Amino acid sequence: MLSFLLRRLLLLLPVLLLVSIISFFLFYLSPGDPAEVLLTGPQGPPDLKAVEEFRAREGFNDPAPVMYVRWLSKVVRGDLGYSFTSGEKVSDAVFSSFLPTLRLSLISLFISLLISIPMGILSAVRRGSAIDGLGLSLSLLGVSVPNFWLAYLLIILFALRLDILPVAGYGDGGDIEHMILPALTLGISAAAVTGRMMRTSMLEVMEQDYIVAARARGLTERSVVLRHALRNALLPVVTMVGLNFTYLLNGSAVVETVFAWPGIGSLMTRSIYCRDYPVILGCMLFLSLLTISLNLLTDVCYRYCNPRLIHETGS
Amino acid sequence: MASLSFTVFADSSSSGNILKADMLFGPDDNLDPAYKYTGWYLHEAGIYETLFSLDEDMNLVPTLATGYDQVSDTEYRINLRDDVTFHDGTPLDADAVVYSLQRVMDSSNSRHGELDFIASVQAADDKTVVINTKQPHSPTIATLVDPLFSIVKPDVNLNTTPVGTGPFKFESFEKGVSLSVVRNDDYWGEKAKLNGAVLYFVSDSMTRAMQLEGGDVDIARGLPQSEVAGLKENQDLEILSMETMRENLIYVNMNKAPFNDISVRQALSYAINRQEIVDTALEGIGGVPAIGVFTSENPWSANDELVAYEHDPARAKELLESAGITDEDGDGWLDFQGAPFNITIKTYTSRAENKPSAEVVASQLEDIGIKCGVEILDSGALSSVLSDGDYDLALYSWSTGTTGDPDYFFSKHFESTGAEAKKTGYSNANVDEWLAKARATFDDKERAEYYNKVQEQVHKDCPEIYLFYLNELAGANKRVKGYKLYPSSEINLLTPELSIEG
Repeated sequence: MLSFLLRRLLLLLPVLLLVSIISFFLFYLSPGDPAEVLLTGPQGPPDLKAVEEFRAREGFNDPAPVMYVRWLSKVVRGDLGYSFTSGEKVSDAVFSSFLPTLRLSLISLFISLLISIPMGILSAVRRGSAIDGLGLSLSLLGVSVPNFWLAYLLIILFALRLDILPVAGYGDGGDIEHMILPALTLGISAAAVTGRMMRTSMLEVMEQDYIVAARARGLTERSVVLRHALRNALLPVVTMVGLNFTYLLNGSAVVETVFAWPGIGSLMTRSIYCRDYPVILGCMLFLSLLTISLNLLTDVCYRYCNPRLIHETGS
Repeated sequence: MASLSFTVFADSSSSGNILKADMLFGPDDNLDPAYKYTGWYLHEAGIYETLFSLDEDMNLVPTLATGYDQVSDTEYRINLRDDVTFHDGTPLDADAVVYSLQRVMDSSNSRHGELDFIASVQAADDKTVVINTKQPHSPTIATLVDPLFSIVKPDVNLNTTPVGTGPFKFESFEKGVSLSVVRNDDYWGEKAKLNGAVLYFVSDSMTRAMQLEGGDVDIARGLPQSEVAGLKENQDLEILSMETMRENLIYVNMNKAPFNDISVRQALSYAINRQEIVDTALEGIGGVPAIGVFTSENPWSANDELVAYEHDPARAKELLESAGITDEDGDGWLDFQGAPFNITIKTYTSRAENKPSAEVVASQLEDIGIKCGVEILDSGALSSVLSDGDYDLALYSWSTGTTGDPDYFFSKHFESTGAEAKKTGYSNANVDEWLAKARATFDDKERAEYYNKVQEQVHKDCPEIYLFYLNELAGANKRVKGYKLYPSSEINLLTPELSIEG
């Protein structure tokens, strides 16, 4: 287990390096002069002199590899630089917008599990019944409906017609009232995928010999399903939940924009629009690190839950 | 910015005299009004004021100044009000004004170029500031309208704690979320009726409309055109619309044949049905068909003297024919020098009205036999493409001037050295001369004559084709009283007259 962990941790470095190279050069190759974009105000195009000054000050006139190395050498020392638009430290900007996303992601994940696990189990146990049909159609709908549309529907229903929740906003530091609708939007789409996974996995397990054996021992159906089948059926779902959580933590730009939620998704969108590349690169690095770590954590969980895996690989 | 005091928000239910409004944009992180366009947002919030400002009819009025004397062609003496105090109680004096202007002139400020014409700013006495310009420069006083030149309290950390002179005092700011202000009880003018206000920054226009409808906010700016009809049916809401200084226009690449031919450019202008653009792309409410470069609401506009390019496809075809653009191969489409005459309109989508407008124009050009397509780029990429001269037509949206002075827009777009004139390739010695003369003339009447000439000339030359003047669409709950839109609405919202009933 330890050597597995070490190996995976070592892999982090080249992956991060690759991510940084790709994002830096994608940014560099995309058309448009960042200095000009950054200095364009609501009033009109920027002063050409101001653009030149900015380019000189920020070293934009150097070749791309030189810019990259200069940026990287700072990053290695833990300095992600300063935002071109707001002048604040990139690490502060990324961190302060990650917290709202994290809060939202946790609640969304909770909602998605609350919906998907019971739905998956019920669909599998009552396979072919009306409940199964309903579950399948709902999850199909959940996967296919675009997030922003679902968001508007939920707003119209809960905030405008029923008038029990605020339309959007961050409220008092992201209070629960303001969090329900965005979390529900994200939770429903995540639940759709997890629910189907849960059902498939459950169906597979229910056909195993040990389930027949459990039934033969005269256990109640409830105990067969919950104690014997569910535990084993959850394994592939753990991977799916890990993936879902990663996806949620990356911040949904669409949902955050619709609900005016100041998360990392909206920070990224804003920064991309105004070519604030220290912030874009900071976000990319942070999110890659997060994604890799979560994947690792999922793998560790998986091994822990499924000892067979360790025996098979012999480590 | 995790630390926030949301007392204002909590109070709102009890006192009921806190206005909540949805804005499109807000400060990034830094609250210094001299930082990029942050001053605009803080002026909008009633925190900072400038020496002079524009009233709702675009007239220049003294604000923190009582007026000015022009001592010579290059020297202005600005007299300050003597009853103004900053939010922390210290009185406004000439030193504070000098400090506020000089820090913008510092080369570290990204907008210092806009003050390049100033030679020096000094305090003559406690209540008088003297500005010397390098050359005679008639837009000098109008320049000071820009909230970039907000008068600030020296020696405080303006990045986090704005201290101004306006009717509202800074209360708290949460990045990307909201800005809260409270009434300034020691305001020099009419005191604000509101106890305070919270401005929310909501980038999605549908969300703003729904927040207004749901009563989450009292005022919502920048409503989507598609939602206005529905919102108008709501008895609790009032929808306001006002022609702004912002307009949509098409750059014509004069460096490329056949657009170097004036007949071709005029033909394009005749081929465009501006009313149809407004009726379709803007749902009939988002704008007003354009005549010349300035909206008729602008006091400097020469629209009364211009003959509008009315939609006239026959005339357009005639002009094209005179430029050698005809259907040579009989396929129903026009050709130029043996090849099909195809046009691509390039534009960007961060302004919602650009793409639909470009599509309507494209279909109108197809109606007279020009194969026309629309290409979407991001605004940064588009600007580079234009600088490289790699385009036929480009549809843009610009403000024609927050300061109200025509020199701002004209010198960029029509003077040979202007950044935008370089993109269209427009250069006219007469126009250059008129603009230079107008800058060195202080008589407004005489200036207006020069600017009328410029407007007539560019109207004829068509380096840019004006489509429509954009309307600002805002909605307010009927409980809100005293809410009005300004032509320069991008810098005005919270005023002392605003109040909420009930």
